[in-house]
Amino acid sequence: MISDARTLPDATVLQADFCIVGAGAAGISLALGLSQSGYKVLLLESGGEKEEAATQALYEGHVVNPALHSPTESYRQRRFGGTTTIWGGRCVPYDPLDFEARSYVPHSGWPIGYDEIARYYPQANRLCEAGVFDYRSETAFTRPLKPMIPGFDQRHFTMDTMERFSCPTDFHIRYHDKLSAPNIQILLHANLTRIALSPDGNRVTELEAKTLSGNGFSVRATCFVLCAGGLETVRLLLANRDVHAQGIGNQHDVVGRYYMCHIAGTMGGIHFSIPPASVWNGYDISDEGIYCRRRLALRPEVQKREQLGSFVARLHHPRITDPSHGNGILSALYCAKPFISYEYAKRLFEEDPVSWRDWCHHLKNVALGAPDIMGFAWHMLRDRKLAARKFPSVVIKSRTGLYSLDFHAEQTPDPMSRVGLAHDRDPLGMQKIEIDWRYVSQDVHTVKRSLALLQQDMADSGVGSFDYDPHNVEKEMTRYGAYGGHHIGTVRMGHSPRTSVTNSDCRVHGVANLYLAGSGVFPTSSQANPTLTIVALSLRLADHLQSLDFSGT
Amino acid sequence: MKRTVLVLGAGGYVGRKLMDALSRCEDMQPIACLRRQSSTMGHASVCFDATDPVELEKHISGIDVVVNCIGSDPTVMKHSAQALLQAARSNGPLIVHFSSMAVYGSACGLLDENAPLRGDIGAYANAKVEIERLMASYPRRIILRPGCIYGPGSPAWSSRIARLLKARRLGDLGAAGDGIANLVHVDDVAAAVIAGIRRPECAGQVFNLAMKNPPTWNDYFISFAKALGAVPVRRIGEKMLKAEGKVFAPALKILEILVGKLPVSLDLPPFMSPGLLSLFRQDITLVSEKAERELGLVWKDLETGLRDSALFEEEKK
Ligand SMILES: Cc1cc2nc3c(=O)[nH]c(=O)nc-3n(C[C@H](O)[C@H](O)[C@H](O)COP(=O)(O)OP(=O)(O)OC[C@H]3O[C@@H](n4cnc5c(N)ncnc54)[C@H](O)[C@@H]3O)c2cc1C
Repeated sequence: MISDARTLPDATVLQADFCIVGAGAAGISLALGLSQSGYKVLLLESGGEKEEAATQALYEGHVVNPALHSPTESYRQRRFGGTTTIWGGRCVPYDPLDFEARSYVPHSGWPIGYDEIARYYPQANRLCEAGVFDYRSETAFTRPLKPMIPGFDQRHFTMDTMERFSCPTDFHIRYHDKLSAPNIQILLHANLTRIALSPDGNRVTELEAKTLSGNGFSVRATCFVLCAGGLETVRLLLANRDVHAQGIGNQHDVVGRYYMCHIAGTMGGIHFSIPPASVWNGYDISDEGIYCRRRLALRPEVQKREQLGSFVARLHHPRITDPSHGNGILSALYCAKPFISYEYAKRLFEEDPVSWRDWCHHLKNVALGAPDIMGFAWHMLRDRKLAARKFPSVVIKSRTGLYSLDFHAEQTPDPMSRVGLAHDRDPLGMQKIEIDWRYVSQDVHTVKRSLALLQQDMADSGVGSFDYDPHNVEKEMTRYGAYGGHHIGTVRMGHSPRTSVTNSDCRVHGVANLYLAGSGVFPTSSQANPTLTIVALSLRLADHLQSLDFSGT
Repeated sequence: MKRTVLVLGAGGYVGRKLMDALSRCEDMQPIACLRRQSSTMGHASVCFDATDPVELEKHISGIDVVVNCIGSDPTVMKHSAQALLQAARSNGPLIVHFSSMAVYGSACGLLDENAPLRGDIGAYANAKVEIERLMASYPRRIILRPGCIYGPGSPAWSSRIARLLKARRLGDLGAAGDGIANLVHVDDVAAAVIAGIRRPECAGQVFNLAMKNPPTWNDYFISFAKALGAVPVRRIGEKMLKAEGKVFAPALKILEILVGKLPVSLDLPPFMSPGLLSLFRQDITLVSEKAERELGLVWKDLETGLRDSALFEEEKK
């Protein structure tokens, strides 16, 4: 049943077995995982069925260095479906190595191994609508695929692993009917504002929630799970200081620390000497109709040997802003900039103003490239705008064999990179968040060394050259700041409360019935986008919650 | 001694397959009852109107078993069932009656044979419920409630689906295909009839017929499309499905009626009625353990069933 909290009489008390807060990827997957359990599940969601400005504004906060991190109300959505209402749908699993404690990645190591998550990946893949769980092109496809870069020596990088793309599935729309199961109650416009603890601080006794219309209510349940996203979960834990003076789960000042996004950027120029037509940078469509894309992934054994974090790279179109690419489609995209949302425009275009001379050059490109632009527009209309499964991104094939390199790398966990609370409050009286995102020299090292290896492999294989300025790597990898929308590590799981917030079951250390779900609990970031693993962890949590013995509670 | 088995509706898909299966049994002597004379049948047959009690009574005399596979127009189904019961009264053959999962109507969840009969999804379902109620008065009867009968050449659940998949009008339907496809292979259906005839203790019983662990409709469509080579599977959006139900279906239905009046036969594209589209969403699972237990059925695995069905479509071309 889906209803609106604004219609509840003030001070209503609701009862449930499990109370979940937040209906995004994590909360919805968890509710779906519990839908057959027979337990009564209450899901509180701050937003409504559509985006609402006043609710979205509750995400407003502060950023210490705006050059390094986007505003707190961007790259996340406070509405039913959460950020899956705007996500890009790229699904990538973590690798086994990502779970290991690696001496060269400080604070690395999960309290659970890859197999623990792998059990849930197939079902997570299904919920994300990314087809079968097979991320190797050699086994996922029965037909032979066109090689990505024929003749490239894969000694450091493999071209076999791939990304799969979700529709992208908006979890609200997709699972609306399934969430109408009789044992699930969803309350919209319900904002969690207070987590009440027992006097000894060992149990949550109830949650208090408010709507923007002014009414409030409380929820009593056996277990509570916060699924409010990697930033908001921190805010909720830190804002509740009446029993634990530093905030819930924060006796050792860990909540909000180790904040990671990903390190990403577009770098240099690749010039293939092999025939341009033999290079493949596009999507392969699987039999189930899933868009898949191969990329260059730094091999695990090379990561270990070279002491690097994980790193992947894709062949990308040249920088859009610079009209010297001579490509009409790219110049047309530049002209369409005002129509592209902030989240997607940010990495496509640079902030710096373009000179009138460059503008003229762009217009000339558009004029000369008119037939290509028409073809591209038709492809985007048919395969993206009107299609139920959307063509995932702009892919431009270079007639001259010229590309740039788009990379996505692991960010090292660092306690100094953190999310905390500011002094000012939102209309519900909650302190706003303040983000101080930082990266460390190991992050620069990972990117620098990976690029150098790639440059060497290109040259040694005789397929072409990769030219970039090694002195510019740090500048390029931080040009757009932290990668948006991935909020990782802020409430990390681990064995000790001194270095983590939850245990391996995602339960807050020292609080018997409070659980956290989402990428905040990931101790490390991998190169992988987080959502598939968020969903897998939520399904695992659903199984765990059902296995608990509630007799006597 | 062989049992004589009269199959009503033997010209239909299930009737034909059943005739083939029965004639392979040494202890059965099947006779096909057809509305119109057919040269392609290849089995002993009689030709008469099964809604006529006098005709029926004449043909039933001396028959051990009557299998009622008449499944078309609701009025025809009702009239033939009434005629059958009337005719059966004098010499009391065993009646194996084909009902349908449609009797459960719009119900959701796990449904065994004791679930209430709602029949609230149209005239066909309603007629099936009424006929089951009539049949209840006749003790020597077995009622079979099959799910969606698929198999090589099954018009409704294999051939039609294959055409829609090839035309990319069906595929991955998202939330609209999350319902459960209670498939049952036509060979399993025939096996159920034969087992029912051979086991006297089954008289008076009702059986759901559907494979164990059925797929969702989406999974069925994707797997069948792969078997057919109709790949990549297309994702069909809600708007497209709305157009199928509200625009294409009525238009094609009218065309079908008009073409039916022509002296020549024309092969029209299949359509998906709003009722069919709601079935694709319906979270209903037939529990068929009773058939496994009492009829000794072992369901054909889906992969084999789909492979055979795809092969048939290929050969048809
Ligand atoms: C532009 C963009 C593109 C992306 N592309 C990808 C991609 O390609 N691949 C990938 O893996 N990931 C991608 N992501 C990230 C992905 O969207 C997130 O990882 C995912 O949505 C996180 O799920 P979540 O449930 O933890 O948080 P969210 O989806 O953000 O959901 C949190 C929910 O909690 C609710 N909430 C918050 N506070 C409260 C409160 N106090 N009370 C009640 N409810 C509350 C919110 O309203 C929201 O519904 C992208 C993100 C963005 C912004």
